[in-house]
Amino acid sequence: MTARASIIPFRPRPQRAEKLISNGVLGMLLFVFVEVMLFAGFISAFLIIKSRAVGSVWPPPNQPRLPFEETAVNTSALIASGIVLLIAHRLYVRGKESVAVLLAVATVLGGAFVGLQGVEWLALIREGLTLTSSTYGALFYTIIGAHAAHAVAAIFVLAWAWVRMTRGRLSREAMSTVALFWYFVVLVWPFLYFQVYL
Amino acid sequence: MVKRDGTRNWRRLAAGPRRCARRAGWIGAGRGMAGGVAVLVVLVVTAAFPEAAHACPVCFDRDDEARIAFLATTGLLTLLPLGLVVGTGAWLRRRARELRGDDGGGGD
Repeated sequence: MTARASIIPFRPRPQRAEKLISNGVLGMLLFVFVEVMLFAGFISAFLIIKSRAVGSVWPPPNQPRLPFEETAVNTSALIASGIVLLIAHRLYVRGKESVAVLLAVATVLGGAFVGLQGVEWLALIREGLTLTSSTYGALFYTIIGAHAAHAVAAIFVLAWAWVRMTRGRLSREAMSTVALFWYFVVLVWPFLYFQVYL
Repeated sequence: MVKRDGTRNWRRLAAGPRRCARRAGWIGAGRGMAGGVAVLVVLVVTAAFPEAAHACPVCFDRDDEARIAFLATTGLLTLLPLGLVVGTGAWLRRRARELRGDDGGGGD
C-alpha cells in the first residue's frame, strides 16, 4: 500500500458577515414591541373611560387629584437617568473600557424615580385613592403600576449590568440590550404622565 | 320583521336562515365538523353587520368626545404596530447599508 500525498489547496476561511443585530437586542426589541402595545391598550382604555365619564367630569368628584407638579420631579429624575445611560451606552459601544460610574448614576436616578413614586402612592392611598375606590383609582394603579413594575425590573437589570461591568465581563451586546429596556421605560413615561396626571 | 319603534327585529330576521340551516342538516346535534363550519359562516356573516349585535360603539355613541376617543384609539392601535414594524425595517436596512459600507448612492 502506498501512501499518496495529497495536496490540499489553501482556502481562506470564509469571513462571517457581521451580525445585523445581536440576538439579545433582537429579543429585547420584540419584548419592547409587545410592551408598547400593552401600554397603548392601557392608554386607549383610559381615554375611552375618561371620555365617557359621567357629566364629562374628570377626575371624578370626591377623588383626590394626582400630584402633577410633584411628579415632575420624578419625571426629571427618570429622564436624567435615560440621558446618563445614553451617554454611557454610546461611550461603551465606541470602545471605552468601563462606564461603571455613569451606569451607577443612571441606576441610582432610576431608583430615585421608583422611590419617589412609592412615596407619592402612599400619600394617595392615605387620601383615599385605592385600586377599588373608583374606576379612576383602578386605572391609575393599573397603568402607573405596570410602568413601575417595568421600572423595578429594569433597575435590577441595570444593577446586574453594573456588577458585570465592574468585573469586566459585560459585552457590548449585553449593554445594548439592557440600555434598550431602560430607554423603553424612560420613553413610555412622558406619554403616561401627560395622559394620566394632566 | 320591523319593531313598533321602527327598528329591525334581528332575532326574527335570523330565525329564517337558522331554520333553513337546521333543515339542511348544517347545524344541530351530531353534525361535528359541518356544524362547526356552519357556525363559523354564520359568525363571519354576522360580523359584517355590527349594528345587529350593537357591537360598533362608534356607530351609536352620540357623544362627540367619546366618538373621537374611539376613533383616535382605533387609529392608534391600528397604526402603532405597523409603525413599529416599518420603523424597525427601515433601521435594519440602514444598518445593513452601513455594514456593507454602501452610502445608498447606487446599486451593488
